Amino acid sequence: MTDTSSPSDANVTVRTRLDQIPTSATRAWLAGAVLLILPEVGALIQFAASALPLGETAVAAADRIPVLLSRERIPNQGTLVPGEGWEGTFLGLSPARAWGLRVGLIYLYGALCLYWIWRGYLLYRNRYRTASWTPFDDVVSRFRGHRWGQFGLLVVLAFLILAVFAPALGPTTLEQNAIDPYSYELDYYDDDTGDIETITVGAANTDTTSQGIEGRNVGPLTYDQYDRFHPFGTLPSGQDLFTQVALGARVSLFIGLLAITISGVVATSLALISAYYGGLVDLAIVLVSDATQSLPQLLVVILLSVVLSQTWLAGLYSGGVLLALIFALTGWPSLWRAVRGPALQVSERTWVDAADSYGLAPKTTMRRHILPYIVGYLMVYASMSLGGIIIGVSGLSFLGLGISSPTPEWGRLVDVGQPLLTTMSWHIAVLPGTLIVIVVTGFNALGDGVRDAIDAETDLSSEEETSAAASGAGG
Amino acid sequence: MNRLIYLFRRLLMSIPVVWLGVTATFLIIRVGPLNPAAAIVGPVNSAQAQERLDRIEEQLGLNDPIHIQYGEYLVDLVTFDLGQSWVLYPGQDTVALLAQFGPRTIWLGLWAVLIPIFIGIPLGIYAGLNVNTNRDYLASITGIVWRAMPNFWLAVILLALLSRTDALFFGSGWESFIIKTDLIGAPDLSALGTPEGFIIATKQILPAAFVLGSASMGNELRLSRTAVLEIINEDFIDTARAVGVSRWRLIGKHVLRNALIPLIPVVTSEAYLLVGGSVLVEVVFGINGIGTLFFDAMTSGDLPLAGSLMFVFILLTVSINIAQDLLYTLIDPRIGYAERR
Repeated sequence: MTDTSSPSDANVTVRTRLDQIPTSATRAWLAGAVLLILPEVGALIQFAASALPLGETAVAAADRIPVLLSRERIPNQGTLVPGEGWEGTFLGLSPARAWGLRVGLIYLYGALCLYWIWRGYLLYRNRYRTASWTPFDDVVSRFRGHRWGQFGLLVVLAFLILAVFAPALGPTTLEQNAIDPYSYELDYYDDDTGDIETITVGAANTDTTSQGIEGRNVGPLTYDQYDRFHPFGTLPSGQDLFTQVALGARVSLFIGLLAITISGVVATSLALISAYYGGLVDLAIVLVSDATQSLPQLLVVILLSVVLSQTWLAGLYSGGVLLALIFALTGWPSLWRAVRGPALQVSERTWVDAADSYGLAPKTTMRRHILPYIVGYLMVYASMSLGGIIIGVSGLSFLGLGISSPTPEWGRLVDVGQPLLTTMSWHIAVLPGTLIVIVVTGFNALGDGVRDAIDAETDLSSEEETSAAASGAGG
Repeated sequence: MNRLIYLFRRLLMSIPVVWLGVTATFLIIRVGPLNPAAAIVGPVNSAQAQERLDRIEEQLGLNDPIHIQYGEYLVDLVTFDLGQSWVLYPGQDTVALLAQFGPRTIWLGLWAVLIPIFIGIPLGIYAGLNVNTNRDYLASITGIVWRAMPNFWLAVILLALLSRTDALFFGSGWESFIIKTDLIGAPDLSALGTPEGFIIATKQILPAAFVLGSASMGNELRLSRTAVLEIINEDFIDTARAVGVSRWRLIGKHVLRNALIPLIPVVTSEAYLLVGGSVLVEVVFGINGIGTLFFDAMTSGDLPLAGSLMFVFILLTVSINIAQDLLYTLIDPRIGYAERR
């Protein structure tokens, strides 16, 4: 920036500086935003209409706006008529291809959105940021050379897209699949009558079960007798597994993010307070955190989820909100321990003293002069604990606690598939479990990458603590 | 002397920790929305049930003011009067139940600590000695994936694999390998003294212990690899090599001895994770240990029993923590007594 010192000039300077910047790149970037919003504009308006109290007509009107990347636009359910090919699917493609196309397009769309955000950051960095260099640039460039961390990032982003677009990714909807299958119908070509027949989805499901015996199994990447395509096969109840898995990703992500956000905020505030004040305040927080950690996490989670199971809290999102709160309540000490050390180190620096002598309020000193230095560490541990929470939630659901039916959850799918594991219906327990392993590995790898990127040389000195965080709930 | 004072201070510090922990448990069970007596009785739909509810409430002291309940609760815990089970094993004393179920969990935990030490650490050292080779990558990636695997899922998969191993284990399959055992079920610890009883009990617990120790195994693999890497670049290793110390002697005497130091506390802290993890593993493998006891107590509404078990768990974790801090000071005297939390 120019050498202005008085605050009254600042506005003018920013104005003139903004005027000097060539706007072509910015305009192109903004045009990208419009292009990216277009395919999903209907979904956004529908979401807004259902979230805001606008009344029935507005919701109905919003529902008529086409959404480009949706099941309705690219349908994958159709009827195979001999001699005529597929009817009802997108462009007459086979259901597998139509579904694959939709998934591919959605992932392409997600990737474009992420690329757009990345371009935005670069634009800001090159054109608008006043400083020509900040330490964060080095972190970014170190991360760009960290293959393992990038692998983690890729997995995490794929998981994010799966969770965000879950309803459109599944071959069928949760409503049709599990909640109310007898209110929906599907057409199929019956070989015996030689004609197109209609059957309810519920009745069809009873014929497409996976129960581990010949004739009663619909494996991964196969069609069932009603021409429905099942990327991951079916459940013992005949429901489509992939639909459940995609929506289960949403539940896991929701619980993980909510829990980690709450415990992150608590841990950071307490770390700042204990680093800034030290002494007795620090000791008190140490005691409370030790006490929280002395209760084995998984057991407290079981205890609380049983005790609170009858309250209104347990009704929110099939118990997801309650689970997130419980994990936040039991998980903050490990995060706090991780950021307390760096916070203590920073609080001993001279600039904190200087800020104090300058007369800044303690809150301001903590926020402006200590917090920025510990955010990176927080990210590392948050990423690793998130994997632990995902494992913990699925472990609870596996035990029959946690998320209640009909909201899908990966752990419950493993539980359902367990008795059939040694039969030909192995896919029910194996696929969701494999996904858990991949996603948790991804979060751990991302954490590793961010750690190395933040702190290339000192290596944070406490690999043991990160590894403890990673296996978090021990589920 | 210094160490004694440290131990004393550490014990003193743990009193408020235990107190806070049991207070939290008390709040959850007694003040929480679930009435323990109602959980024991179940749905109250007859005069008899109502009468039973009143009687149990009276016995548990639920009608007293909350501070008196709290006082009695604390006194009971201090005198180790842990009450009895109400639903699961009606009338049985909690301490007796602990004595009955505890050994199986301890046996499981023992092997769950030992297996990672004998598999994870050697693998990590091997990876560290062959750094940046394909063997190293294979071992490291195995460790990473291993760590990310949920215990319950690994247990399920392992059970399925072991039940189909007819062609493996020298053609006998796992169940009849060496000695015939069942895949699922608790080990029989009564004949632990005899060689045959020992082998049976060990073989019975191995798959469960393998699963329970899996996360630790991944951790120990990673850490021992890093430790070896750090040591192997030290000057004294170069010196020893220059002097002509043989490769195995170099590894055994100079690398391993130093690399193992930072690992010992890690092993104790793993023991801490096992306490909570045992619930899932015991449930899947059908081992009726303390983990299953707690889980069954929770699901059947036996809150007094669950609360008492929680107290035992708190004592256990706090003592593991103290033991670990003491080990630190024993292994590495450079660590200050004052600075360890």
